[in-house]
Amino acid sequence: MNDVGDAWTTLEPTLPQRQRIDAQVFAWLEARDTPLAVEWLRLFKAEPFSAAGLLATSAVSLAAATPVFWLAFGLF
Amino acid sequence: MIAAATPDRAGDSLLASLWTAFSLRHGGDEPFVPLAEDAIARLVEQARAGATGARQLLYEQHVDRVFRTVRGMLRSDADAEDVTQDAMLTVLSSLHTYRPRPDVRFAAWVMAIAANTARRRFRRRRPELTETGDLPDIPAFGVDPAEALDRDRQRRALLVALAELPDREREVITLRYGADLNASEIGAAVGAGSAAIRKMLERTRVRLGARIDELLNPEGVAR
Repeated sequence: MNDVGDAWTTLEPTLPQRQRIDAQVFAWLEARDTPLAVEWLRLFKAEPFSAAGLLATSAVSLAAATPVFWLAFGLF
Repeated sequence: MIAAATPDRAGDSLLASLWTAFSLRHGGDEPFVPLAEDAIARLVEQARAGATGARQLLYEQHVDRVFRTVRGMLRSDADAEDVTQDAMLTVLSSLHTYRPRPDVRFAAWVMAIAANTARRRFRRRRPELTETGDLPDIPAFGVDPAEALDRDRQRRALLVALAELPDREREVITLRYGADLNASEIGAAVGAGSAAIRKMLERTRVRLGARIDELLNPEGVAR
């Protein structure tokens, strides 16, 4: 009769499958372990203009939204 | 496979020696050597303390076993890849919740997480050979094509035979042969007594072996 234990070794992941799994898991772990400030720093290094634009837009949005929300809550 | 990283804490002598084995595996043709339970326990402690080298070694020790376990429960390789990723992430990010128990290996905790992840996400699906008609991966360089073909036939036969089993039996036999757990560890994972698990394993093993034979040698059965 067929050895079930031996048959199971055929279910091992192939090299490309292992590489995909490794890449996903370690990318996620690295992202989890990296502080937000470091992410911003990397973004500034890689794309300085886009990062500055993103930062400026975020700051303007926050500055503009705060009085709008304050007014809206005051009215309703 | 994983980008090379060295043990990152000074005085980490266990990691240094283990790292040699890890590097050998990835750099050469050395067979994978499973670590003893006490070495695994030390790695868990070091990984909890933040040693990324220990975390990678724990990953390396369990990832293939998780894959072949969930592959036996799921319908496709793609599902098995997804569940393996999720399960390994859960394991590595939940190490602080792991409580060692006597006579229960760390692997049993890992495989229980893997089985739960597979059960939760794909409970209603049955294993199938392929759902999209994907071509199989090209065998690695140096692998005998005849041998690769033979393995592929055996793999298909196993998956067909597994698909015909009831869910409970498929999970139990997969935890035995895929995850390499013993009867009491399987019992703890699925909520059953070890005597009942032993009986079920014996019955299912015989049935599965006979069915694989039948699928591999249909003319032999017809005679």
